[in-house]
Amino acid sequence: MSFFSQPVGVSHFLVVGAVLFVSGVVCMAVKRNALGVLMGIELVLNGANVNFVAFSSPFLRSDNAYALGLDGQLISLFVIVLAAAEAAVALAITLNFYNNHSTVDVDRADELKG
Amino acid sequence: MESELLLSLIVFLPALAALVLMLPLFSNQRPDAIRLLSLAATVAVFLLTVWMALDRPAGSDASTRFQVGEASMQDTFARDWIPSFNIYYFMGVDGISFTLVLLTSFVTMLSMGASWNITKHVKAYCILFLLLETGMLGVFLALDFFLFYVFWEVMLLPMYFLIGVWGGPRREYAAIKFFLFTLVGSVLMLIAILMLYFNSDLGRLSRDQLQASRVPNSVVQQVEQGGTEPIHTFNLLALAQMGQLPDSPFDKELWLGHSLQWWAFILLFIGFAIKVPVVPVHTWLPDAHVEAPTPISMILAGILLKMGGYGIIRICYPICPDAGYDLAYVVAGIGVLSMVYGAFAAMSQKDFKRLVAYSSVSHMGYVILGIGVWTAWAGTDYNSDYWSMGMNGAMFQMIAHGISSAGMFFLVGVIYDRVHHRNLDEFGGLFAKMPVYSGLAFGIFFAGLGLPGLCGFIGEVFVTLSVWTYSQALAVISASVVILTAGYILWTLQRVYLGPEYKGPHEDGIYPITPREIAIAAPLLAFAILFGVYPSAVFRYMTPSINKTVGDLATWTKEVKQPRIEAERSSEMELAQKP
Amino acid sequence: MAPDASLPLLLGLAWLLPLASFALIVLVGPKMGKAGVLAAYVATGAILTSFVLSVIAFGIWHFGHLGYDRKTAETHVVAAAEDAHGSGEHAAGESEHAGADSHAAHGVPTAPPRVFTKDWYTLAQFGALKLSISYYIDSLTVLMFTMVSLIATLIHFYSFGYMHEELHEVVDHEVTLADGHHLHRRGRFYRFFQYLSLFCFSMLGLVIAGNVLMVFVFWELVGICSYFLIGFYIERKSAQNAANKAFIVNRVGDFGMIIGMMALWASLGTFAFGDIDGQQGIFSSVRPSANESQVTVPDGMVKFAATEHVAAGVEATPAQISTWRSEGYGYWLLVIAGVGIFCGCVGKSAQFPLHVWLPDAMEGPTPVSALVHSATMVAAGVYLAGRFYPVFAPEALLVIAYVGAITLLLAATIAITAVDIKRVLAYSTVSQLGYMMLALGVGGWAAGLFHLVTHAFFKSLLFMCSGSVIHAVHTNDMRRMGGLRHKMPWTAYTMLVGVLAIYGAAIPFVVGLSGYYSKDSIIAQALSFWNSNPTHGAFFAAAAIGGAGITAFYMFRLWFMTFAGEPRDHHAYEHAHESPKVMYVPLVILAFFAVTVGFPRLPFSVPKLLEQARYPGEFTAGKLLPDLVYPEEHLSHLPQFHNQAEVVVTFVALGGLVLAIAFYGLRILNPAEVKSQFSAVYRLLWNKWYFDELYDAIFVRPVLLISKLVGNFDRRFIDGFVDGLARWTRAVANFDDVIDRYLVDGSVNVVAAWTYSIADGLRGLQTGKLRQYVMLIVIGTVALTLLIRWSVAAG
Repeated sequence: MSFFSQPVGVSHFLVVGAVLFVSGVVCMAVKRNALGVLMGIELVLNGANVNFVAFSSPFLRSDNAYALGLDGQLISLFVIVLAAAEAAVALAITLNFYNNHSTVDVDRADELKG
Repeated sequence: MESELLLSLIVFLPALAALVLMLPLFSNQRPDAIRLLSLAATVAVFLLTVWMALDRPAGSDASTRFQVGEASMQDTFARDWIPSFNIYYFMGVDGISFTLVLLTSFVTMLSMGASWNITKHVKAYCILFLLLETGMLGVFLALDFFLFYVFWEVMLLPMYFLIGVWGGPRREYAAIKFFLFTLVGSVLMLIAILMLYFNSDLGRLSRDQLQASRVPNSVVQQVEQGGTEPIHTFNLLALAQMGQLPDSPFDKELWLGHSLQWWAFILLFIGFAIKVPVVPVHTWLPDAHVEAPTPISMILAGILLKMGGYGIIRICYPICPDAGYDLAYVVAGIGVLSMVYGAFAAMSQKDFKRLVAYSSVSHMGYVILGIGVWTAWAGTDYNSDYWSMGMNGAMFQMIAHGISSAGMFFLVGVIYDRVHHRNLDEFGGLFAKMPVYSGLAFGIFFAGLGLPGLCGFIGEVFVTLSVWTYSQALAVISASVVILTAGYILWTLQRVYLGPEYKGPHEDGIYPITPREIAIAAPLLAFAILFGVYPSAVFRYMTPSINKTVGDLATWTKEVKQPRIEAERSSEMELAQKP
Repeated sequence: MAPDASLPLLLGLAWLLPLASFALIVLVGPKMGKAGVLAAYVATGAILTSFVLSVIAFGIWHFGHLGYDRKTAETHVVAAAEDAHGSGEHAAGESEHAGADSHAAHGVPTAPPRVFTKDWYTLAQFGALKLSISYYIDSLTVLMFTMVSLIATLIHFYSFGYMHEELHEVVDHEVTLADGHHLHRRGRFYRFFQYLSLFCFSMLGLVIAGNVLMVFVFWELVGICSYFLIGFYIERKSAQNAANKAFIVNRVGDFGMIIGMMALWASLGTFAFGDIDGQQGIFSSVRPSANESQVTVPDGMVKFAATEHVAAGVEATPAQISTWRSEGYGYWLLVIAGVGIFCGCVGKSAQFPLHVWLPDAMEGPTPVSALVHSATMVAAGVYLAGRFYPVFAPEALLVIAYVGAITLLLAATIAITAVDIKRVLAYSTVSQLGYMMLALGVGGWAAGLFHLVTHAFFKSLLFMCSGSVIHAVHTNDMRRMGGLRHKMPWTAYTMLVGVLAIYGAAIPFVVGLSGYYSKDSIIAQALSFWNSNPTHGAFFAAAAIGGAGITAFYMFRLWFMTFAGEPRDHHAYEHAHESPKVMYVPLVILAFFAVTVGFPRLPFSVPKLLEQARYPGEFTAGKLLPDLVYPEEHLSHLPQFHNQAEVVVTFVALGGLVLAIAFYGLRILNPAEVKSQFSAVYRLLWNKWYFDELYDAIFVRPVLLISKLVGNFDRRFIDGFVDGLARWTRAVANFDDVIDRYLVDGSVNVVAAWTYSIADGLRGLQTGKLRQYVMLIVIGTVALTLLIRWSVAAG
């Protein structure tokens, strides 16, 4: 029975989460714009959130005994809040960087070079 | 005045003055204030010692003044210092040390007066100078061996700097040589001190002996309570009592068949002999003298050398009499060797100061010889009179040499200040140019030559006369030194003072002697004459103590050593008969 | 005042006054009047007062009959002498008839002489040993005091004139400066009198000394005065050298003296001559009255020599000591003590082999030569030998006799060729001192000291006359004099008196000048000694008689060359003039004494005074030389010796005189011919037997060489050793440093360097590029996952 023929289960969510994660990582890795990088971060976080929600959902699990209850949702909510906060800080940094360097190109931000 | 206060004041007043000098109040911009304060301190010490020397007023017996005629220690006091090692702040004077204390305060005062033309770092100079005086006085007054050692070392360091900083062109070499030589002696002395300390036991002494040694009452009680643990001590008087016991704790065999006290004697003797100095450990002296500034030369010759002789009289012989008896000929022989060698070496010198330095070696040889003539033995019915004469002569010679050699170095300094060289071949004619100076110089050099009526004669003649009883060979050699001494001193006087004209450089720099210089040289000459004409001025203080020291050793020879010799002889004869 | 209080007081004052004068001149000398002229008055006043005090003391001695009440024993020998000498012209023989008060003047004394001796003050005391300043006054002391202070006073006056140049600026023609000019210097008038005063003090102290140490003290002090006075012209190299030589040669003698003193001191424990406060002195120890005052080895010496027995436990009871004594213990100590003390006398009295300093000492001003180097200080050696006479063992006396005889001949021969007027007199002095020593050595105690007194007068006279001549002609060289008697008659004829006195001029057996009496008694004693000791005596007798002939020759040679004939240097002659009165009046006074002082008929004649001080007791035969016998001095008055001596000496001396007249007076013989005929002998004498060269080669150079060696030994060997030790220590330290630097530190540093280079390599990874980091995180995560995966699969 192929993946696509199955009823929607945890695996499918996981695939979506993985796609989101990989997209986010690739975005972080290739975008030179700091805002792009921040978006990549959001994607990565949300990919993870998808995974948490999927793992904790009682409806998606065939074996209820392993379900996590509401823990996954809670962590997801926590991550979302965290992401919001992080985004705020990161945008402030970016703004400052822009003010100093007139650019948001992360490759220019290499002061931490060893 | 309390004796504790008095003696502490004598020793530490200069150090106190040095402390005051360290205040920023005194700066090198005003050198005269510094000099005057230092001079005041030395004068104060001198006046204190002179006050002590005055006769007690009639009717007052409770006085700390020195009591003439008393042989034993006076003005003693002891305070705990380092109780865990039985170390006390223990001081006192007797005739032997008192005369040397007087000499020290006198010569130091004069040499401070001679320090006026030191212009480099005056403040540091004066501080070191005063510390040096504290060290020297402490050495003579300390009765605790450890305290003695501490003062011995305290005196060493200022001397090193005084030579090394204010000296002549080769001062570093001379200072290091002086320091190392003396340090070797100190180290040997330290070993001996520890050897004696760890083998001493106050429990061996009787109550009377303990009290005679001025052991504090608490310790006496502790001894009387008894106990298995030996009670060690650094008390020099108690150590001497112990050394002269029939079953002395220092008699046990230590190494190579010789007793502990034999080795201790050797170590101490080398330590003191370096200071005296005797041939062949004398070579630091000429270098140190040549490089040292004039006042320091005066102190070096006038006082420092005396510490060696003092140590031998006070420490070597009373504590280690057995070794002293066995090695008496070696000691006397070294004395004669120094006399002859020093005189010959002096004759070949071209440098004025070096010549005077070698004459010191020669003159100090008399001291060692006088100490060494142990005439009290079975063959003379233990008659100690000649030895007593020799040792009195030796002590007198120390005082006399303190005066004459300090004077000689000062006079060399006077001419050096003017012409800036000391080459004997480039003087001459000074008698016409500086008549007063030359007159003083003739007086003081003749004191060194041993001319009757001047102090050198008494010491030399007394020592020489005492020797024949001990050894005729040494006596003849020592008598021959009078020729050599006359030779080098007259030759020197001829080259420096006589002749029609001055032959060296800086002839314009010669000006007559100044009143300040006269004020230093004239007292020395006056004392040289006084002691030469009226030697009792010195003998009255020291003879009782010396006679007691010698008398104790004579008694010891009779009661302890003679039975031992006879026992050895009979055992040897038994051994010889056996095969 | 009783004499035991007044004599010490008078003589003590007489002794100390010159010291006070010295101290005064030292302190304020240059300020005493113009150029210090008042110093002369102070010094002269002091010594004149001393002379007056001495004369008073002499009077107390004589008129108090202090020395005349000794017990004597008439012996047949003396009686015989008296018989043969009925006319009584001889010294000791005369007094028999002179009166009851002079018994002691002859006969053999049995009691010790009358002596006042006591301590003035104690220098130091150690147990039983005591050293003090004390006095010993007997007739000899009083006599010497008077003699010394008289001559010294005259010489002080004479010096007023002689030294007057020193009152102004002086040009010393003998000193040339580096710039070619002669030295100009300030006069040193006061300093001369300062030294003279010190000398008088020292000399009188030496005479009054009551113990050997005090003698030694003043012995050295007169030595140093002599040093100063010889070197008075300090600018002259020759004067400096002469002064040094005098003092050092004297010190050689003192070396022996110290040995003698040590031997006495160690064995007797006292230096006092006489018994003071019940403590036995040296004299009564060596000449105990218990043993009829014969030379006896004292108990102390016996015990000292027998030390090993004492050490072995033998108790030194009186009986045991006398056993040891008879075995000869301690005798060598007595001989050493005697010879040792005599060594000092050899130095001071310029005896062979230490005679070399005296002729050089003539560098000093002439009054000094007259006072110090002829009349008093050099005679002090003879005085001490005489004072110490009771202690000499026969062997020691023999040494004295030999030394005296050799000196006498040696010096007399040198005087024949000398041309420096003062040097002739100096050698004559040495020779006459030899006479005195010879006299003492052959047992002629009184004869020797008698000659000492007479010689003091005529020799100081001769010296002062020569000084007067030198003052006039400004040269010492007799070859540039001649004919001076016309110019300076006072000097010439007083000097002739002196020459006659030393010659011993007399009408034999009737009357003569002072030298006649003293010299004759010496020769008589030498003959008497020869009679008892055929082995040694011949040489002594020959020396004494031969010496008389040579003396006559060279003294007249001197006088003729100086005063007789034609002037040889006209320039000098023109300049010559008689000396001022202050100079020639003392000459006249001295001439008077040179004539009369030996005269025996006076109630206080010198021989009588000497006899009062004679120590009783005969000599025993020597222990080491048992054949040696000393005849009593009184035996020499026997006609067989005395008349013989007189006759022989008259002829021998006459021979000398005739030769001198032939050579230098009438010029019948030419000295130059003799000179060339005996050129070897002449050169030997001219060079003073090469003693200076010899001593230079065997003493001076070796001592300097040794001192150089010792100096180098010090520098090279001892200092080399010390410095080498220091170098070694530094080498070890350097080696240590290398180890530390390269081995220990090196390894630590290598580790550090590695760490650094690794870190440096890794640094490249840290690019600071955000995107790279993300890539690396991803790659790393994946790689880790895979790694774990595979490792789990493999595990």
